[in-house]
Amino acid sequence: MIALSQTRTKELLAIHGWSAVGLGLLLYAVILTGVVSVFASEIGTWSAPLPAPASAALPERGLDAALKRLAAEVPAEFHEDTFFFPDTAGRIRSFFHKHDQRAGEAQPMDRGVEFDLDPATLAVLDRREGWSDEIRARNLPSALADFFVELHVSLHLPDPWGLLLTGVLGLAMLLAAVTGFLVHRHLIRELFTLRRHREPLLVQRDAHVIAGTWNLPFAFVLAFTGSFFSFAGSFGIPAIAMVAFGGDQQKMIETVVGTPAKEDATPAPFADFDAMLADARHRAGGDAGFVSIDHYGRADALVTVSMFAPDGKLNGATYTYNGATGAFIQQKPTFGLVPSLGNDLFSLMAPLHFGNFAGLWSKAVWFALGFAGAYVTLTGLLLWTTRRAAEPAWQPLARATGWVGYGLPLALAAVPVARFLAPPLGLDLHAAQNTGFIAGVAVATLLAWRLRDADRLRRSLLGITGVLMVLTPMLRGWSGGPGWITAAGQGLITVIAVDIAVLLAGLLCLRSATRPPAATPAAEAVATTTAEGAQTA
Amino acid sequence: MRPPLHIPRAWLRGILAGPVCFIAAALVMAGGALWLPEGPAKIDNMVLPIVLFPVIWAALFFYLMLDHRLGRAWLVALLLVAGHAGMIARHLLATPAAAGQGSGHDATGAAP
Repeated sequence: MIALSQTRTKELLAIHGWSAVGLGLLLYAVILTGVVSVFASEIGTWSAPLPAPASAALPERGLDAALKRLAAEVPAEFHEDTFFFPDTAGRIRSFFHKHDQRAGEAQPMDRGVEFDLDPATLAVLDRREGWSDEIRARNLPSALADFFVELHVSLHLPDPWGLLLTGVLGLAMLLAAVTGFLVHRHLIRELFTLRRHREPLLVQRDAHVIAGTWNLPFAFVLAFTGSFFSFAGSFGIPAIAMVAFGGDQQKMIETVVGTPAKEDATPAPFADFDAMLADARHRAGGDAGFVSIDHYGRADALVTVSMFAPDGKLNGATYTYNGATGAFIQQKPTFGLVPSLGNDLFSLMAPLHFGNFAGLWSKAVWFALGFAGAYVTLTGLLLWTTRRAAEPAWQPLARATGWVGYGLPLALAAVPVARFLAPPLGLDLHAAQNTGFIAGVAVATLLAWRLRDADRLRRSLLGITGVLMVLTPMLRGWSGGPGWITAAGQGLITVIAVDIAVLLAGLLCLRSATRPPAATPAAEAVATTTAEGAQTA
Repeated sequence: MRPPLHIPRAWLRGILAGPVCFIAAALVMAGGALWLPEGPAKIDNMVLPIVLFPVIWAALFFYLMLDHRLGRAWLVALLLVAGHAGMIARHLLATPAAAGQGSGHDATGAAP
């Protein structure tokens, strides 16, 4: 496609390989957990279903009364900032809070009271008070979905290190995507070339190239948006805030979001919240997804309503209202008060990364393409190590690839098992999930250490993963979740659908674990060479 | 036979395309707040560098990795680092009080 000299192509190919080899296993972990996180809201609904299916939008009536009831209950200092949104487990989450300085922290943190509301009745299901990280640790309905999302976002490492690491991984993926595109001499032909009856390594190479080539634009988009999200919070915003605002990140965010109106702390009753939401729905022709209220109970109260994207668009509108009078102020961009290039580019980031702009269909496409990305990363590493199978120095990477490649799905499958075992056994849910994951990693590590044959390792890990996944729907029922008949009666289709998906994935793992090794040529080649290497050693 | 400078050159290239490239991209991003146009919403100079950071890094990485004249690549990287570090330092030292007022344009009085 692009005419490059042989030397240049070799250089780009070296960058392509080394960018993946250097960070490939961690990148594989981030991609695989990202694939799972695409369905975070479905996982939340599945693991902690409500008695009736919840809408993804804020309810049309009753939030005004709920807001005033909750505001009267919390200390007035937490009226500084409030928001409402439907969370991953289908609850309406509301957080009354203030930006406060915590001892030992460099930047202000949020402190306040958080409520989970039933979306149908708006009754309080749970109340949590404290600093934002303490509140998050006590949130049980979203715990499972949050575990996968946090693993994807920061690998459960503390801020900012986890974000910085995933940002670097995003950059490595960006390199692999760009160089992967540039080194293709016959891009169109390679989209369709699979030489099934040639030697195993060539078949595996063709499969890697086909999946990688189809996936190139998507890999580029995900790498770009993913590294943006990681670096923006961990390092971009602090750096720009340091240059432009003397390090005051809150001031920078307020300025970028839109210059705040002059403060007026005069007490004032809050206008009809339901009427404001109804007006926003009427203007947008769609549902509200997120509402923020600044300075509840004051004359300068400001309500910002973010709408879901209407059909055919990537982003929804944002409207502002005077909280004291209920009067519509303006439709504003996410950033700034008038349209701008910066806002337009920023607005593209979330829908392109999360794939949630067209409901389940776009999420299914993002899931499939993300899965292909994980496959490309894993097969790329297998190819790299297989080609260097005669070199003892590459044997540790070959074994690590089998360990992480098939051990990570096992560790991920152990998390819902632990989550559903925790309530009947009276265990702390978050601790049980963490322990489940660590136990999965430990089992995979033990097997990788004991089993020298890479194919036996692959089959053992896939077999355990399959068993765990097949058991998961039963454990969900044992822990008090609705059975299929009850769920069908209550309209909880998501619960049944995720159960079936997990069962099918488990059966596929079991089938793959019992399949003859010849079906996985690269793994077989690695197995052979690894075994030979072990014997030689 | 490989030239005796082969290994040092590889290291020099690695350091240049690794940590030096990242530092240069970070400084270009942070310094961009001072020289990029604010745009109609007066936010572009702050939002664009953050959004485009991966592109800034990738473009710089490919140049520093692929320019066959290693000395020239180092010179370009060091000029970018020195230029933006100097610009940021001058801004912070000259107007420490105004740094909290808003964008770099406001604080310095004029874009460099």
